[in-house]
Amino acid sequence: MDWIYTGRCWKFGDNLAVDADLTKKEFASQRETRPEVLREFCMCGVDPDFPKKVSPHDIIVAGRRFAQGNPHIQGLLGIAALDLGLVVESIPRGSYRNAINAGLPFLAHCEGVTKECETGDELRVDFSTGVLENLTRGTRKSYEPPSKEQLDIIALGGWKAMFAKRIATMRAEGTIPAA
Amino acid sequence: MGQTITEKILSRVMKRPVKAGETVYPVPDLMTVHDWYVVNFDKALQEQGVTQLFDPTRVLISTDHEPVATNPANAERQKNVREIVRKYGITQFFDVGRGGLGHIFPMEMGTITPGMFVLAYDTHVTNYGAVGCLGIPMVFEIPEVLACGSCWIQVPETVRVNLTGALHKGITIRDVSQRMIVDIGEDNLDYSVVEYGGPALKDIDFGGRMTLCNNPLEMGAKSALIETDERMIEWLKPRVKGPIQPQVSDLDAIFKSVYDYDLGCLEPQVAAPPRPDNVVGVSKVAGIAINHAFIGSCANGSIEDLRDAASILRGRKIHPSVRLFITPATQEIAVRAGNEGLITTFMECGAVMTAPGCGPCAGGRIAPVAPGEVSINTGTRNDPGRLGTTKADIYLASPLTVAASAVAGEIVDPRKYL
Repeated sequence: MDWIYTGRCWKFGDNLAVDADLTKKEFASQRETRPEVLREFCMCGVDPDFPKKVSPHDIIVAGRRFAQGNPHIQGLLGIAALDLGLVVESIPRGSYRNAINAGLPFLAHCEGVTKECETGDELRVDFSTGVLENLTRGTRKSYEPPSKEQLDIIALGGWKAMFAKRIATMRAEGTIPAA
Repeated sequence: MGQTITEKILSRVMKRPVKAGETVYPVPDLMTVHDWYVVNFDKALQEQGVTQLFDPTRVLISTDHEPVATNPANAERQKNVREIVRKYGITQFFDVGRGGLGHIFPMEMGTITPGMFVLAYDTHVTNYGAVGCLGIPMVFEIPEVLACGSCWIQVPETVRVNLTGALHKGITIRDVSQRMIVDIGEDNLDYSVVEYGGPALKDIDFGGRMTLCNNPLEMGAKSALIETDERMIEWLKPRVKGPIQPQVSDLDAIFKSVYDYDLGCLEPQVAAPPRPDNVVGVSKVAGIAINHAFIGSCANGSIEDLRDAASILRGRKIHPSVRLFITPATQEIAVRAGNEGLITTFMECGAVMTAPGCGPCAGGRIAPVAPGEVSINTGTRNDPGRLGTTKADIYLASPLTVAASAVAGEIVDPRKYL
């Protein structure tokens, strides 16, 4: 997997709600997980036109407690479906897990990052090392990346692919019965 | 090196000493799933060709999010759930009328004991901390837990809270608890287990202990639990068959932080829209007209909560423009409420009883609100849409404040009704 994303910055504030801001609330109770559906409603609570504006490898930069609320995965699957990266000042742990589960490259502990860039800036982010470069401003910052184990899950494409791989491994070992 | 209760529990499960920060794959003593996810986990397992669970005798399923099917599609879903339970040979299935809310009745039945480790499809499994069990939510990954027996977790750090002081009249543990999670703050609570002890613990009943273990996860806590004390053992004794293993942290355990928290909160507390941490004194929101009120949920559906509500509602009538729903969390609580005359009080004042379970708090699948309406309730969360429409305002408060507000037709300080 190429961990380096180069694209435009899309900046948001603090406390974006995982259900009402990041996606359509109903998707959680419907357990909707289809990328082609979720991508169309990415960030619809704050900007309904967002999916039309962004390009693959653009980067969402947000403040504290991104994706707060009941830890449903749909909002994070929507971001991953648009092939975006995510850089936030903080993210509650349930949504942190779900970012990994969604296969979404992200940096979760970026104190003050919203002061480092504005919407429209050209960014280059290496999600495996935590280095964020603002190419428009010519600045560079370093943050804590996810752990090796977590990056491995993201590289596979998220929880579903990791689960399939674990099942195959356990079958091969004879730990669980064959299909 | 000393250990916290959480490290001790996970060390027992892993059969080796573990410490906070380690990534481990612990096999839980029990896995719980609620009625609204059974069809989904079955689909996820079918996609991987999984036909057997890791251990179907360790799986508990409860019909609590929508105990009474309200339309033909849901009746069909319930039928599917029963077939899936049979297919996998799941032995601990508590259908409608058999248990109630899955975060509570397994404690009443003596299934949950101090030192146990549970993974669950639903965030509020942390309630099991009321009896010293470590309950950790595992939402999206629960099919992996069911099929493989585990899933990765990082051993959480512990925030130790020593409870001190005493409750003032008209103030409940819910008031203190929702204030406390804001005071301790998200940075401390995030991915931590909150461990309660301290001199005031002996004065807190089982219902209050569940509330204490329920609220912190709304601010990002991984779980919460109460150290074993005499009151916990007394509650467990008639329910648990085997020996009870008390759980306490070592004196030299390393905590992320330690708080002394005084129960002497001066004013009832209300969480205003749009988040559970938007907590203010009741005087700040008093006078806001309400249409909908609800007492119940895994945060406040205990017998002690129903007694609190009845203490206000006895001999009074609900305001004409308000509908009040009361949900005893479990079958046992409903029986006790009947025996104690509480249900008579509720029905006479104009409230409606709903089936044991989550009540309206489970996404407003029953008794939702309409756009433009205002609810005050004892549920777990007040995000827009928690009770159906996103265009309603939801306030969270204690059973006393909710009951008094239902009588007044607006948010009020319950102390003048006592």
